[in-house]
Amino acid sequence: MKQLALVLFAVLALCGCETVEPWERGVLAKREMQWQTDPRESSLQAQIFASKEASSGGQGAAGGGCGCN
Amino acid sequence: MADRQSALLALTSSALLLPAYQGVRADAPPDFTELGMRYSKYEEDNTQGSKTFGGSSERYEIDAAQFHLLAPVLDDWSVAVDLQWEDMSGASPWFVGQSLDGGPKVIMSGASIEDTRTEVSVTTRYYYDRGNAGFNYVHSDEDDYESDAVALDGAFNSADGMTTYSAAVSTSHDDISPTQGSVPTNTLNDDKDSSSAWVGVSRIISKNAIVRFGLAYTYRDGFLTDPYKKNDRRPDEREEWVLGTGYRHYFIWPDGALQADYRYFDDDWGVASHTLDLAWHQNLGERTQLIPFLRYYSQSEADFFANVANTDQRYFADDYRLSAFGAVSGGLRLRHEIGDWALSAVGERYETDESWGVFSGDESPALVNFWRYSLGLDYRFR
Repeated sequence: MKQLALVLFAVLALCGCETVEPWERGVLAKREMQWQTDPRESSLQAQIFASKEASSGGQGAAGGGCGCN
Repeated sequence: MADRQSALLALTSSALLLPAYQGVRADAPPDFTELGMRYSKYEEDNTQGSKTFGGSSERYEIDAAQFHLLAPVLDDWSVAVDLQWEDMSGASPWFVGQSLDGGPKVIMSGASIEDTRTEVSVTTRYYYDRGNAGFNYVHSDEDDYESDAVALDGAFNSADGMTTYSAAVSTSHDDISPTQGSVPTNTLNDDKDSSSAWVGVSRIISKNAIVRFGLAYTYRDGFLTDPYKKNDRRPDEREEWVLGTGYRHYFIWPDGALQADYRYFDDDWGVASHTLDLAWHQNLGERTQLIPFLRYYSQSEADFFANVANTDQRYFADDYRLSAFGAVSGGLRLRHEIGDWALSAVGERYETDESWGVFSGDESPALVNFWRYSLGLDYRFR
């Protein structure tokens, strides 16, 4: 998996993306284009899934635990 | 152990060298103060009578309230305070036994467990020309569990603003003191520690699209066994790796955006998983958004999992959460703004089945299905 991660990072760093000037980025600032559109909703969902499944994390800092069953 | 520490150190060092990312809007403090509250109801389906000894049984039900305050401070800072309060009741699987017909059946914990949880989270964030950096502290308190966690994160934009690099490190300490009386517990008092590091990079790929990749490493150490499960003894260390990708694409017609995220998880307990999240964010005029979403999840079973645990082994568990299964969940979010007020509503259904997974394994009789509903209200002081 580490090799796959390095390949993905390299592809992203080298990709020939078109240059988008600052005044052309209005759409990218829209709410629906953010990685987290509703942080409270995201944190609640992450907490529920982490308490019902064996996997968690991957979206930034890990945060604290709970005794959720 | 030395390898694990050097892996975490290497990732942490890389994280500190890399610039980082939060979002296109993230490099200036908010120009408003936001106050919000949300109520959520979480309700698991009863266990099926055919899968339990003793007939159908109620499972968990949780009421959760969240309160949120975000405010700019001075010229370049913001402070966020989040409070979460939960009231939990119900029963959970205690162990799995062999029935006379040969199939595994679950024995529930019997008497209803009652507990409350309170979580306080404080985040301060500093914004500078090319990015931002944040510090977060979280304290969580239950009758039988207490947790403290701190995290640092940072974001740095490239000179042309096309690429954002991000990183985060966190550590937590949890104390476990199981409530006595309902079922015998695996410990009276114990603790565990977790450390994690995450690096990510996002890039604008067109006027309408953005993509990102992230890599996370987590090391857990201490009492990782479930204190309330009869047949449960787990290793006291766990290493986890997560690879995540995300994609956002805005379509001028029909004024909506596709949100796609994929996560691959792998650990040294033998668990691997795939998670795919898809959402369509549809704008209906200037103030209303309708967001249908769908999630697919599949995990393999832990090396020491068995439906009927072999307690002669060094490690064993019959916990359905360590079994191989697939899960599909989906729902609808609605957001509507009225002036400086924003109303949000969510309905979600989660269903599991061993046959939906891409990994093979025996079906656990304790797999869970649930409903979740949320209602929220936010106000912005401008």
